[in-house]
Amino acid sequence: MTALEAKDLVKDFHVRVGLRRINLRAVNGVSFTLTPGRTVALVGESGSGKSTIARMIARLEKPSAGSIRVTANDREVPSKHYRNHVQMVFQDPFASLNPFHTIAHHLARPLKLHGRPHGHDEVIKLLARVSLPADMAHRRPHELSGGQRQRVAIARALAPGAKVVVADEPVSMLDVSIRLGVLNLLARLQREEQLAVLYITHDLATARHFSDDILVLYKGRVVERGPADDVILNPQHPYTKILASAAPNPDARGRLLDIDPADVEEAGSAPSYDHYTDELSQ
Amino acid sequence: MTNPSAVPAAAPRGWRAMLPRRSPKLLVGVGLIAVIALFGVVGPLFVGDPATIRDVGLTPPGGDFPLGTTLTGQDILAQLAHATRGSLYIGLLVGVMATFLSALFGIVGSYAGGYVDEAFSLFSNVMLVIPGLPLVIVISAFVPADQRGSWTIAVVLAITGWAASARVLRAQTLSLRNRDYVAAARVSGEPAWRVIGVEILPNLLPLLASQFVFSVVYAILSEAGLSFLGLGASNSSTLGTMLYYAQNGFALQRDAWWWFVPPGLIIALFGCGLALVNFSIDEIINPKLRDVPKRGKQQNRAPQPAERPDDDVVLTVDGLSVVYQVGTPVHAVKDVSITLRRGEILGLAGESGCGKTTLAYAVNRLHRPPAEVTTGKVTFHDRDGTDTDILALKPAELREFRWSKLSMVFQGAMNALNPVITVQAQLEDVLTTHRPEMTKAQRRVRCEEVLRLVGVDVRRLTSFPHELSGGMRQRVMIAMALLLDPQVMIMDEPTTALDVVVQRGILREILRLRDEIGFAVLFITHDLPLLLELADRIAVMKDGEVVEYATAEQVYAAPAHPYTRKLLDSFPSLTGERGAFVRETSGSPL
Amino acid sequence: MRYYARKLAFYLVAFWAALTLNFFIPRLMPGNPVDILMAKLAQRGGTVDPAARRAYELLLGSGTDESLLSQYFSYLGNMFRGDLGVSVSSFPTPVSDIIAEALPWTLVLVGIATFLSFALGVVLGTLVGWRRGTWLDSLVPATTVLAAVPYFWLALILVALLASGLGWFPLLGGYDVVLSPGWDLEFIGSAVYHGTLPALTIVLSSVGGWLLGMRNMMVSTTSEDYVLTAQAKGLRDSRIMIRYAARNAVLPSVAGFAISLGFVVAGSIITEQVFSYPGIGSKLLQAVQNNDYALMQGIFLVITVAVLGANLVVDLLYALIDPRTRVSG
Repeated sequence: MTALEAKDLVKDFHVRVGLRRINLRAVNGVSFTLTPGRTVALVGESGSGKSTIARMIARLEKPSAGSIRVTANDREVPSKHYRNHVQMVFQDPFASLNPFHTIAHHLARPLKLHGRPHGHDEVIKLLARVSLPADMAHRRPHELSGGQRQRVAIARALAPGAKVVVADEPVSMLDVSIRLGVLNLLARLQREEQLAVLYITHDLATARHFSDDILVLYKGRVVERGPADDVILNPQHPYTKILASAAPNPDARGRLLDIDPADVEEAGSAPSYDHYTDELSQ
Repeated sequence: MTNPSAVPAAAPRGWRAMLPRRSPKLLVGVGLIAVIALFGVVGPLFVGDPATIRDVGLTPPGGDFPLGTTLTGQDILAQLAHATRGSLYIGLLVGVMATFLSALFGIVGSYAGGYVDEAFSLFSNVMLVIPGLPLVIVISAFVPADQRGSWTIAVVLAITGWAASARVLRAQTLSLRNRDYVAAARVSGEPAWRVIGVEILPNLLPLLASQFVFSVVYAILSEAGLSFLGLGASNSSTLGTMLYYAQNGFALQRDAWWWFVPPGLIIALFGCGLALVNFSIDEIINPKLRDVPKRGKQQNRAPQPAERPDDDVVLTVDGLSVVYQVGTPVHAVKDVSITLRRGEILGLAGESGCGKTTLAYAVNRLHRPPAEVTTGKVTFHDRDGTDTDILALKPAELREFRWSKLSMVFQGAMNALNPVITVQAQLEDVLTTHRPEMTKAQRRVRCEEVLRLVGVDVRRLTSFPHELSGGMRQRVMIAMALLLDPQVMIMDEPTTALDVVVQRGILREILRLRDEIGFAVLFITHDLPLLLELADRIAVMKDGEVVEYATAEQVYAAPAHPYTRKLLDSFPSLTGERGAFVRETSGSPL
Repeated sequence: MRYYARKLAFYLVAFWAALTLNFFIPRLMPGNPVDILMAKLAQRGGTVDPAARRAYELLLGSGTDESLLSQYFSYLGNMFRGDLGVSVSSFPTPVSDIIAEALPWTLVLVGIATFLSFALGVVLGTLVGWRRGTWLDSLVPATTVLAAVPYFWLALILVALLASGLGWFPLLGGYDVVLSPGWDLEFIGSAVYHGTLPALTIVLSSVGGWLLGMRNMMVSTTSEDYVLTAQAKGLRDSRIMIRYAARNAVLPSVAGFAISLGFVVAGSIITEQVFSYPGIGSKLLQAVQNNDYALMQGIFLVITVAVLGANLVVDLLYALIDPRTRVSG
């Protein structure tokens, strides 16, 4: 059973240079399926196209090619009900809540838009689902801590009754001591409500522990995919190996000086692993 | 990451944030506007007919005519009341119309994006560069006088006066449009008109208000100018027409100042009132503009003798406290004592708001008001045996001390480099200031030397910061920090904004240079695992206090404070167990 | 290069828009405009002869069988040949001759005054923004009052005080009328003497805008990280203020030059009128009073071209001081 199937997604951005238009391919033929009750992690560095994929799934960007199919109860969901089924949690909880509106507004609106009861009781029920007290409802975003805001953002994504949730770096802007709380909340909701989650991150460690499967993205392409532990503990692709070796690891004190610079990075330039791309395009 | 000059107090948001803060400027402004508006609205009801001609021409103020009379004996107070009403009416009309036009072209265009935006923006810019008043004069001259009512004038002024506001609104809408909350509203299925009207517009209110005020001032001034030239509205009396008659009646030449001065004064005061209100609105839009407390004299205390704790130590922080002197003082750093040994990397870890950045800045006295060092001492133990009480340095001594003994690396991927001058100029700045005896060629050689040290191509000297990648900018920052061969380097989240692979490269560079050159590093970050790998000793800060202070091995193996344990648990191990993760795997594989 | 090409293209479009506006405004007038205008002209005692009527008809596009489009193209053709028509008020002098005579006066007066006001505003704004929390803060509301005063009113008050009252400056005119215009020292001295008060008016009323904008940007820039870096580098305060803070803060002022220039030009026209300055502003108003539409439109076009040109120059200058605009990407 699948909840969402993305097939051969391509996204081109047009950049004007002088009088010419240049095509920048941000995402290049990415396919994956999301299953209820399971989490897929998209791992990559900035510029890898992971956020563009998230925005395409959330219908904030139109794919240049490829298809996204959402199924519920084994039937394809028609386009106009798409947003009832697919929702998104944004990276920065300080930016994703409108400073002008109360928390209740943020939760009641999606309830109303998707034809559900949207009274005060429903808002409080939603807050309870993300372990927030009822008196949050009439507060404004600035009165909440980062972690609380992100919980509200999760509640907003749940409001329409979505079964597919795209979480775009949901904890990277939060203080470390509250990250786990938010991730654990997402994990609990996912288990209890059989959500299909697409977890976008640059952090290999949380990707490994939080998700079932991992897709490693490099320059818009999937370079490696597989069960989380396999990808992280036994990476096959050179790029994944570099990523894994670059992540901080207190157990490996003193290894910093052992790595040959040329392996990781050409001095002074942006990471250059173009030879891997060449390999990929063959 | 955290700017220590930002007061750690939550700014109000929502409706309350839309209201200006009460300040003397605002009160005076609102007062002026209220009095003049009242005079214009109510005044005409109490004064006589402004057009009545009497044979008491040019009577000075006093008696029956508190403001005197015109050449033909008309009561100036009565004229003034009616004229104020006329001017306010036109100002209001133009304000509403111009704001509407600018909102239409500025907000709608930029939200729609694509060709609509390009067309609207081009149109606004063309309207902006075509000079308004000459156009208004030409149009007014073509419209026959009997058809030139207040409305015509207002429409013409609105058409020629909206473009500047549209440009401002467009820029702001473009930035709001990319905010996540707008994207979130779209994802939850809000229709476009609601996204603009309910999500974006309220956040533009201060800007709209300020542009409205601006249009009203523009309209009143332009109308006065037009009327003064005899091209104003033919059916109404405004302050401009009053001035026109005063000028044509040679009021100034006849020393009838009471005829000429009051209309201009009312315009000036009204404009001034609106401008003062605009100040307060600007402060909402950009909180940085708020009034700062008057600068206190920096109190210089006498240097205190310091005993050398150990030959090995290069920097001692002793009982340092930093307080943000705001409404209720915030103790950002509480009685912190740490020592930095020669050639060691001391990690300073903590979460946002724990005071780690404030501490680092206070060490070099870079903290800004309202932050203030209340107690404590920072001593630098020079290689040559002299001790420097940093907090007691006089401004000139402090300047000399900075960078030559202690340099800093900021979170440089973003803003630590000046965007408009070349890398070379920014490097040489240091040398011209601290080593005035160096020749141009020597400076150049030194700059190339440090760039090579950090592995940056020397051709990059002529580059501007925006031409460098994030990692390269950070390398340039480190090169800059090396220029004067300092004994201490403070690094504030130097790799936070960078990708992990680039981050690795930079960290390796720091370690290598430390080994080669032997400076000590105070390394500030929120990333404890990184410190465990990099630092010799680690201080963990929480709420302004150092709660854990030990070697990296100890912190990792046997953390003493529960907060340290909690922090350590928060970072799941890449290769080890799940730690505090509760998640269980379920379902079938991919 | 792309930046320059785009700017140039933009100003060409703007110029074309101004030309087109100029063409259509008279044609959008209600009623039978030629008759109205002729009646107005007669009222003022102008020359009411077939030649004047012909000039109006040409301007308004009536009394001809030509299509609007072909009128438009012949109008554009005339413009490019520099043929702006014939003035009715000083018939039959070509409009271009009248403008050529008046233009230098305005260019010099407004040019110098604008430059002075910009320089003064930026320098003061830099200081006020840098030394926040000192007595300099009070400069801000003070200049705001000046900016809210109508130009002509300020001009007249200045005339009353400094010219009539104290006799420091001449009341009006651009030079001493006993002299004949030329490049001799005496004449230039007289022109400077006569131009001081109008220039002072323009500077006084426009300096507040520059000052406020610069001050606000300085305040924002001062909290930027690169200023902090400069302080940590141990640079002298003056150097940080100029090279790091002001150098960045001035960019928006330059970029927003177009907005402010419009106001300065508007104010200058009226100021010229007050001082009976022999510039283009006074000529425009004479044209309005005499219903000399061809002259009026010619002047409008010339002012527009001058403003567009000034903006273009400033935009090109901007590219020099902000390296980021030079990126080709």
